[in-house]
Amino acid sequence: MSQSPSPSTHFLELRGIHKRFGGVHALRGVDMMIDPGEAYHLLGENGCGKSTVIKIISGVHMPTEGSIILDGRTYHKLSPIQALEAGIETVYQDLSLLPNLTVEENVALGQQLVSGKGRLLRRLDKKLLSETASEAIRNVGLVPDRALMTSTTADLPLAIRQRVAIARAIASKARLVIMDEPTTSLTRHEVDALIELVAKLRSQNVAVLFVTHKLEESYRIGGQVIVFRDGQCVAQGQIADYSRADLSCLMTGREIEALRYRTAAPQDEVMFKMSGAASGDAFFDVSLSVKKGEILGITGLSDSGRNELALAMAGHRGLSAGTMEIAGQATRLTSPADAIDKGIGYVPEDRLSEGLFIDKTIYENEITLIFDQIVNRFGMIDDSKGRAAAHKISEHMNLNTSDIDLPVSALSGGNQQRVLIGRWLSIEPRILVLHGPTVGVDVGSKDAIYRAVQAMAERGISLVIVSDDLPELLQNCDRILVMNRGRVVDDLDGATTNEERIYRSMLANHLEAAE
Amino acid sequence: MTMVQDMTDTAIPNPPRKERSLGQLFQRRPELVSLSILIVICVTVSIINPAFLQPSSLIDMGRASVVTGLFALGVFAILAVGGIDVSFTAIAALSMYSLTLFVINVYPTAPMTLVVVTAILGGAGLGALNGWLVNLLQVPSLIVTIGTQYLFRGFLLAFIGTVWLMELPPQMIAFGKAPLLSFETANGAVVSLPIYFLVFPAAAVVTWMIFNMTLMGRAVFATGGKADVAARLGYDQRTVHIFVFAFTGALAGLAGIIHVCANRMANPFDLVGTEIEVIAAVVLGGARITGGTGTVFGTVTGVLLITVVNNSLVLVGIPSTWQRVVVGAFILLAAAFFVTRQQKQ
Repeated sequence: MSQSPSPSTHFLELRGIHKRFGGVHALRGVDMMIDPGEAYHLLGENGCGKSTVIKIISGVHMPTEGSIILDGRTYHKLSPIQALEAGIETVYQDLSLLPNLTVEENVALGQQLVSGKGRLLRRLDKKLLSETASEAIRNVGLVPDRALMTSTTADLPLAIRQRVAIARAIASKARLVIMDEPTTSLTRHEVDALIELVAKLRSQNVAVLFVTHKLEESYRIGGQVIVFRDGQCVAQGQIADYSRADLSCLMTGREIEALRYRTAAPQDEVMFKMSGAASGDAFFDVSLSVKKGEILGITGLSDSGRNELALAMAGHRGLSAGTMEIAGQATRLTSPADAIDKGIGYVPEDRLSEGLFIDKTIYENEITLIFDQIVNRFGMIDDSKGRAAAHKISEHMNLNTSDIDLPVSALSGGNQQRVLIGRWLSIEPRILVLHGPTVGVDVGSKDAIYRAVQAMAERGISLVIVSDDLPELLQNCDRILVMNRGRVVDDLDGATTNEERIYRSMLANHLEAAE
Repeated sequence: MTMVQDMTDTAIPNPPRKERSLGQLFQRRPELVSLSILIVICVTVSIINPAFLQPSSLIDMGRASVVTGLFALGVFAILAVGGIDVSFTAIAALSMYSLTLFVINVYPTAPMTLVVVTAILGGAGLGALNGWLVNLLQVPSLIVTIGTQYLFRGFLLAFIGTVWLMELPPQMIAFGKAPLLSFETANGAVVSLPIYFLVFPAAAVVTWMIFNMTLMGRAVFATGGKADVAARLGYDQRTVHIFVFAFTGALAGLAGIIHVCANRMANPFDLVGTEIEVIAAVVLGGARITGGTGTVFGTVTGVLLITVVNNSLVLVGIPSTWQRVVVGAFILLAAAFFVTRQQKQ
């Protein structure tokens, strides 16, 4: 700690921050400023250093070079406790809640930890804990009754968990709240509520820094935009001064048009059919069909039954009523393995915990479905066959590395997703169900994923995309089914419909109920 | 559902309340399952053989529970922080044997309080070494403590001694004998509950206070819940690890010296090998092996369950060799019970 050479008038300023992880130069001289009460949108492709800069601001990482000026004092690094003491609170994408502790403890323990400068051998003030937590919970629009306050956070739905994480951020005197992709898995209604909340924080002179991929929301919220590319801050200014095209150009360094990727048409043969299908109380009376080479979109609010429908199509969930046909043959899926045998692939929403073997190499991840094809006559895996298959997939999916021995954990989110989708190419499924294929993926990777999806459809694979991302569905699908309260309420033509129309079907009945 | 007036714009409803069935209660408080089993066993055994309720057998069980109980409180702490420790028995053996040897040969008049405090501090020191290594090496504590178990035990047998110490100093014998309560049995013999029995409930209360009334207690559970998140939120992981392992070591040191006094001899080959039974007791008490859960009450219940099973089956004609079968079956039953409950959700 020393006096700043040239005094900073900002709440927080980064000057010439560099960060190296071993040989990787993640940040290359970042300068940025944060003022009270302003909203900031940190944009950039995956791997551009956004997460690293957040971790430096919140004291998790130590910068290799450069200085952090906080309230006019210069630091060469911050500890988590110092950052928290200064009122820098972070709502990480994973929310960073402690699953085994109660809502009350998650929200308010930090305040006592910070006020004691991190010392742990102190009495826990339970009265203060419950008062602080109740107030913060009320401030984020939840009701602090005993049932909620004593629940462990593992038992709560995602939207509530996010509120709890925000409540923790504002429980102490927050001055900067950082939110890492806060709207990724929220429904539109939940996003609206979050945006209101942000306005409220700003009115209390709290700065808010979003890390986001969703430009539409950034324009709605307004404030300043900070664009990162290759570990450098390439622009900071009022978001209203930049067009979408400007921003994607700044982020990628090249121009990407928002085009409709879908150009081919499906074949006539019906590949997959469900009639009168129901599963528990998740969805009812669902009838749908997918043609060979067709791309079907399914959307709806998160509780509309769309997730369960996706799981049922892939054999992860049983049907309690109704029938299913694959290529004209009546069938029942008894397990995911059974579905794979019958030619149905499934790419889960949560690629890290459900889809990839994250510590294993690209190669090992790509061959998991084709062991039986690449074994030699001694029952051992034939390495050269496997490698040839993995290389082919990497090329198809346009991975940005040719080194298939790299662990998947070293890849960016977009490339990980490409590995996951590419794995299915190895067995040429008849039907592939993609669940949120571009969640948390940057613009450049989205483009590559969409191209791969279209190429699969052209080869005659039937695709089902279950997603929140309406532009994604509009750009890629032949038809879009909208689910609402467990039923399919609309069947729209992807080429001619629009977002407004889809929202209306998604929210019908919900709007009246909310009035 | 009520909503705060000025918040209607941003409010979202609370999640629906969970139903309050017996199954839900067991789900939230798994130790109640073990408590129920314990009560059923006690009632059944005392109906079949009322001798179970005689002071002599109760006192036997009380005595038998102390060392396991102290170990178990330590294991509870380790499971809470998300680790596993298999070195605590070696810590107990090393500290009890070297301390007894020291008292006999160097300082025969050492006051008992000093002996006990030294055992606790010695155990804490060895435990702190575990915690420091876990944090330094960033490897699972199971690996670290397998290593230190061999190290501590090897050090004991190679450098300290392998001879049984049969002649304890008088103050240690007195400590092992001092009665809290005495009863005369039907056949005229006097059985007494030794004063050291109180150490287990006292340690349980202290453990409960640390884990429920201090920030450290919450920090331990936070680390057991998700260590990287806890670090991000400012809980100093090194302090937490060193504290928890030192705490467990301290309890092990205490258990070791009580073991010596109760048996009136120090056998360097003792104790090591009983880790699994202690871990089983804690798991039966509702702590998950994956960490971040567990209660002191559950741990005490688990210890009592194991103690009763070990001491009462003989009373109803089940051979003692069957104890392990019974304990194993309980563990599997409890595990199956929770897995099926979770799948139903």
